[in-house]
Amino acid sequence: MKKSDVLGLASMPLQSPTYPRGPYRFFNRQYLILNYKTDAAALREALPEPLEPVGDQVSVQWLDLPDGEGFGAYAATAQIIPCKFKGETCNFVSQMYVDNCAPLAGGREIWGYPMKHGDPVLKISSDTILGELHYAGTHVATGTMVYKHDAFRERDLVAECKALERTQITLKVIPGVNGKPEIAQLVAINFTDCKMKGMWTGQARLELVPAVNCPLADLPILQMAGGVHMVTDMTLPYGRVVHDYLA
Amino acid sequence: MKVEKILSLPSMPAASPSYPMGPYRFVNREYMIITYVTDHELLLNAVPEPLVPNVDCHVLYEWIRMPDSSGFGDYTESGIVIPCTFNGEAINYTCQMYLNDEPPISGGREVWGFPKKFAQPKLQVSSDTLTGTLDYAGQLVAMGTMAYKHEIAPGGIEATAKGMTKTQCNLKIIPDVDGKLKICQLVAYNLTDVTIKGSWVSPARLHLIPHVNAPAADLPIKRIVGGRHFLGDLTLPHGRVLFDYVKDQAA
Repeated sequence: MKKSDVLGLASMPLQSPTYPRGPYRFFNRQYLILNYKTDAAALREALPEPLEPVGDQVSVQWLDLPDGEGFGAYAATAQIIPCKFKGETCNFVSQMYVDNCAPLAGGREIWGYPMKHGDPVLKISSDTILGELHYAGTHVATGTMVYKHDAFRERDLVAECKALERTQITLKVIPGVNGKPEIAQLVAINFTDCKMKGMWTGQARLELVPAVNCPLADLPILQMAGGVHMVTDMTLPYGRVVHDYLA
Repeated sequence: MKVEKILSLPSMPAASPSYPMGPYRFVNREYMIITYVTDHELLLNAVPEPLVPNVDCHVLYEWIRMPDSSGFGDYTESGIVIPCTFNGEAINYTCQMYLNDEPPISGGREVWGFPKKFAQPKLQVSSDTLTGTLDYAGQLVAMGTMAYKHEIAPGGIEATAKGMTKTQCNLKIIPDVDGKLKICQLVAYNLTDVTIKGSWVSPARLHLIPHVNAPAADLPIKRIVGGRHFLGDLTLPHGRVLFDYVKDQAA
């Protein structure tokens, strides 16, 4: 293959790039978001400088992604820490587990999404929205939420919609061939063309099991703060570097 | 989390890095390598300039069992290696790799540019046959079979150990946050502290099934040359940049 063609590749490997070029549109992307209060000192330690905590609430989320352009069908579990960066309230993505290599490699390599391979499942089980996560064959998290209890509520959803469009921040670390960091950045991402197809709130519970390579439980659950269930279409565009640790 | 800690991270996520800092020691790493002859034109397309593929059009299809790998754990790998030359010197180019463990996929891609994808390879002794299979996205895409320890390899374990230290390389591509290429390099490395515990050659066969996301069959089999089977301990150190496409383009 000619050098000029090598420079036109979207990703490794040469013969069948793991992921194509973005942006990436997702259809019927379903979320189960479980909010809880955690330990303020543990939260502070999980947030990289110069991000600043806002309160002591975090979330563990399950995502079902049945139709992700370039990526296929998969599921994810994520831990999200609301934070402040230069006065703006953002969501720091601290941990992610997915069951599909294309978004895993693309997520890490493009935006620095902190993805590892796990086995998340998001499904409706009888009267319950159920999120489960297994890592390395072991059960590490279970989230449950009531199913569309407030389907006929009369209140606006502006706050929840804004939360989806809130700036996400990741800590992208890619080593050089010598093992030392070649990229160490905070990356900001904003979903675009978000279409909210349904959103519900309600009672929720969450169980986190300590596991060294999937340490969601390192941010302990002090008190549950409710769940959000939503179905969206949205686009994941490229990101932007907002802080460079090596500059 | 303080900046010093961020800069000392070996990998993402900060909460539990996928892989630690290298080097990485492998104990009882078992290889089955089936060498075959493929099509010259297709081989040229599969090898990035300035590497030059071998004139014999040999391709090495490999299965590797790695039961004890520091930092990575227990996993199996399958893939394609193409003997090449770089500036006239012999070098093995890793063309495709499939494995069933995320840290060596992420670490392999991010540190050395190993072209790794997640799949389900298996290498096992089945009755009288050393059998390798590879399933990708639920479908069988490769099956290799080799007669079990029919003959000690020529030159014995010493020759095999020497062959293992040959320079190897990958095409490392890491995009920037805007999708443009941030890193586009040929990365070379040499295995060190190689101890081979047994090495055999035997008749072998290989079956490759066309699959768009695991296109091993894109280098078709014209003729099987033979099979090699060996077991050893070795160390995978960090690498070095052999050629930088971004700098070359700018020059």
